[in-house]
Amino acid sequence: MASLLQPDRVLYLVHGEKKIRSPLSTLYFCRYCSELRSLECVSHEVDSHYCPSCLENMPSAEAKLKKNRKRICNQLNENFRCANCFDCPCCMHTLSTRATNIPAPLPDDPSKTAMKKAYYLACGFCRWTSRDVGMADKSVASGGWQEPDNPHTQRINKLIEYYQQLAQREKLERDRKKLARRRPYMPLAFSQHTIHVVEKYGLGTRLQRQRPGAPITSLAGLSLKEGEDQKEINIEPAQALDEVEPLPEDCYTRPINLPEVTSLRQRLLQPDFQPAGASQLHPKHKHLLIKRSLRCRKCEHNLSKPEFNPTSIKFKIQLVAVSYIPEVRIMSIPNLRFQKECQVLLTLTNPVENITHVTLVGCEEGDPEDINSTAKVMVPTKELVLAGKDAAAEYDELAEPQDFQDDPDVVAFRKSNKIGFFIKVVPQREEDGDVTVSFKIRHDFRNLAAPIRPSEEGDAPAEAIWLTHHVELSLGPIIA
Amino acid sequence: MADPNTKQMPQKSANIAAGAVVCVESEIRGDVTIGPRTVVHPKARIIAEAGPIIIGEGNLIEEQALIINSYPENILPDTEGVEPKTMTIGINNVFEVGCVSQALKIGDNNVIESKADLGKNVILTSGCIVGACCQVNTCEVIPENTVIYGSNCMRRVQTERPQPQTLQLDFLMKILPNYHHMKKTVKGTSTPVRN
Repeated sequence: MASLLQPDRVLYLVHGEKKIRSPLSTLYFCRYCSELRSLECVSHEVDSHYCPSCLENMPSAEAKLKKNRKRICNQLNENFRCANCFDCPCCMHTLSTRATNIPAPLPDDPSKTAMKKAYYLACGFCRWTSRDVGMADKSVASGGWQEPDNPHTQRINKLIEYYQQLAQREKLERDRKKLARRRPYMPLAFSQHTIHVVEKYGLGTRLQRQRPGAPITSLAGLSLKEGEDQKEINIEPAQALDEVEPLPEDCYTRPINLPEVTSLRQRLLQPDFQPAGASQLHPKHKHLLIKRSLRCRKCEHNLSKPEFNPTSIKFKIQLVAVSYIPEVRIMSIPNLRFQKECQVLLTLTNPVENITHVTLVGCEEGDPEDINSTAKVMVPTKELVLAGKDAAAEYDELAEPQDFQDDPDVVAFRKSNKIGFFIKVVPQREEDGDVTVSFKIRHDFRNLAAPIRPSEEGDAPAEAIWLTHHVELSLGPIIA
Repeated sequence: MADPNTKQMPQKSANIAAGAVVCVESEIRGDVTIGPRTVVHPKARIIAEAGPIIIGEGNLIEEQALIINSYPENILPDTEGVEPKTMTIGINNVFEVGCVSQALKIGDNNVIESKADLGKNVILTSGCIVGACCQVNTCEVIPENTVIYGSNCMRRVQTERPQPQTLQLDFLMKILPNYHHMKKTVKGTSTPVRN
């Protein structure tokens, strides 16, 4: 019954800004706050950029400063794109470089021809080639492919410079006002058109988060160099034209060549040109992906930090909930009947290496966290003891030295760090939905992250604290 | 060239031209004619149920490909008066691993990629590429140089037809006889038969 092992059958409640219920496999555990965290109550930060096809790494700072010497508009374009890899403009797959042999005249002797290699880009998925748009074959394998220039580059550059300067000036004024008046609170109603320039090294996520009402649009880390003069940049305002180019005469009569028309997705992936015809779809450099790290918002400790190397999938820091919190899983469900007591078999797995004591407590009447349950549940009252996770246990031929006195009514089986136990469920509602039960798990947690107090050297390395989690199980429909 | 078997009564054995490389492990049932320089891999299946199949030269039929001339769904095999329809396949086609083709007319230089599925009513012209896992069972003639790709069977037209797999064919014709037994070919007039 693989469907019982589906992750969303058992949900743990996370106390954050919002109460989120999600499976344990998607949660993180901050061992400094001793609380569960979900993806919505942590802050996501960009660690580094990398190209998914050539796996070339580009740390964030370098990606910003790369090609600083080029114009700013190009900086925005090439900023987060790989220099070597291209995307197929037709199906967005990665393009591969192929070679053909063409006869070409030798440079010394024009009468003789020798086979030279010519390279072109081809997509393995939709069979698009660079020859389809008329791009000539190049003689070098990489680096020969250029993206077409945007005719409006100059104008856009100028506008960006102007607005950067404006934003800088406004920020200075605001800071000056802040110091002058020393208001205790910031007015939250910022103008919609103010562009906030993100500071060069502060990523801005933590600072800007503390002003929840302010709209944030950032220019992705661009900032004027410190030494540049504050020269005045003036721009001409855009001019409105009275006359618009008329439609071609055969606009209504010309039959549509459907393979030539680009789809919206193909068109919008090239916002500079937005070509309407497939013969103008040029390949673009591949967008970089990010490696992100997660940080607890309350204590600012890192919960997840990936390795720097794009080829490595390991983590430097990985505080996932499944390695700290005992996991409840459904093992078997009998036929559920309305208002009849059924026994459901659950398993509890201990992820840590020391013995864990777990107590289950049913939810009381009027519990504010208990909103979804549709059945009454009777959980075992006695404390359940879970053995520690021993990685070498399966190779160890000695009999299990620990002898837990298990009540056979409560504990069905015990296997290394896992036990199976029964709960009794009485479905209360005769409706079409799933029967949902909820209860609380209370277990002891030894915090190995806390610093060892120097005075108590001989003591147990860490004190145990008791954590309580609210668990909801979805047991499936009632079978009449 | 292959002997056309129109004069004789419906032959029950395959008519393999000299120069074709057909492995013994392939299943060829019914009245099938295979042209020279065609390579049929082991475990390929060419089944002529409801009529003969004529395969041209230079084709590459890979493992677990199924080329079947089957009866239409609503006609039982025993019905009398059903005319056998011939399935023609042109030259330089590639039937990749695991594809199923029931199309009655396939032109030249087509590529039918892995696990593609062609219905009975499709007619492929030349230079078409039917992408992997694409099912094409509309009743239409696919224009030349069309590429069908993607899970939604999107289409586009390419500017040049796929190149014939001459290198691969030469390689296979040299290597396959080293590891497999071949089916017997019909004796050609000029070139000696290679079994």
